[in-house]
Amino acid sequence: MSDRPDSRELAEAVRGFLEAEILPALQDPRLKFRALVAANALAILGRDLELGEELRREEARLLSGLLGQGGDGPAPGGRAGDGRALNEELCKRIRRGDPPAGTLPALQRIAALKLAIASPKYLEHGP
Amino acid sequence: MSEELRTALQHKLSVLLDGEVRVERFALLAGGASMEAWAVDAQTPQGPAPLLLRRGAGGRIYRDALSLEQEHRVLQAAFAGGMTVPRPAGYLGDLLGREAYVMERVQGEAVGRRLVQRPEFAAARKALPGQMAQELARLHRIDPAALGFLPGAGTPSPLRYGLETLTAQLDSLGAPHPALELGLLQLRTQLPFDGEQVLCHGDFRVGNFMVGPAGLVAVLDWEFAHLGDPREDLGWPMVRNWRFRMDHLRLGGIAGPEEFVDRYNALSGRHFTLAEIQPFELLGAVRWAIGALSQARRHLSGEERSVELAVLGRLAAEYEHEVLLLLDEGGR
Repeated sequence: MSDRPDSRELAEAVRGFLEAEILPALQDPRLKFRALVAANALAILGRDLELGEELRREEARLLSGLLGQGGDGPAPGGRAGDGRALNEELCKRIRRGDPPAGTLPALQRIAALKLAIASPKYLEHGP
Repeated sequence: MSEELRTALQHKLSVLLDGEVRVERFALLAGGASMEAWAVDAQTPQGPAPLLLRRGAGGRIYRDALSLEQEHRVLQAAFAGGMTVPRPAGYLGDLLGREAYVMERVQGEAVGRRLVQRPEFAAARKALPGQMAQELARLHRIDPAALGFLPGAGTPSPLRYGLETLTAQLDSLGAPHPALELGLLQLRTQLPFDGEQVLCHGDFRVGNFMVGPAGLVAVLDWEFAHLGDPREDLGWPMVRNWRFRMDHLRLGGIAGPEEFVDRYNALSGRHFTLAEIQPFELLGAVRWAIGALSQARRHLSGEERSVELAVLGRLAAEYEHEVLLLLDEGGR
């Protein structure tokens, strides 16, 4: 299906409506704050629709590499590229006190990927 | 509902203060799923009293939060210990189906972002590090023996108990978070579990202080008080999330940590270094990340539907990133 607006453009349309028309009309500061949060949620959704699939593939690749499965092999306990199963496996290893070598840099890379969706400005004002 | 509550409150206060009390103003300040706060202006036999009513609202945020009765007792202990806190005015027991207590209503600004960023609080920001140090020195001198209900009391290592509670909370999320697992692993090996055991505030940070132009007016929000290591309260106000985007000022976005720690050491007779406090900042960062994920879970489970809580589940990426950064710094 190729109808426009696509999912990203729809999220963007609602976000624009909240920011341009709803926010200025609100008086109650608590309601205003929640409307801002809602607009931010739609911005996250828009970035997830744009980048999410690629970033989740990259996450699965990093985790597979870490857990010794190679880039494209089946993940332990799940189908290939199943990010949840890979994350669970890694958690078990860490809980046992046996994190694979390279866990910290791999997780830092994954955290940066997540931030690209959830909060891209976060890394700009680091200490 | 509000009128019924006012009548019930008037009755309870009259018994408490042994004379006729008239509630003249009664306004809801904040109402979440776990707690309500009401501003109450009362005429009492002793004169007019501006009070704050804290009343339960059903839910609990964390499994180890105190009941309001316990919170009131901790507040009494803090007040008796000479701390700058709202004067506790009495535990009311059941108030229309939920427990409640009243305390003095203090005036000022508590919103962390405003305290950190607004120019009119510049003098307050200068005074706060020393005042925070003094409050903690007084708090950690209080004998916790009479507060046997505190989480961690009766365990060989309250700090270890706290870490186990945190681990159980992460498990209860039902979703894998390897960054936080790595943080917990580091804490299990790095934290000094044989340290002192003192009454800890548990949420001592900018955002939980009432502040005026000259600085601290009152230390608020005692529901996470517990028995623990004094360094828990020193590390928590340094956690990045409480710097409100003033990230270069490690102590809550208002100052570097040195004056705060030096003053605390001088007043308390302890000798903690910044390096000794660092693992407790990591503990705080992990605790905050798990807390945020727990709040998102409240939305997802339907316990409290809220777009604010929902978004915390994704903003947790920031808190995980910070945990990893502290692990990286600590490992160097």
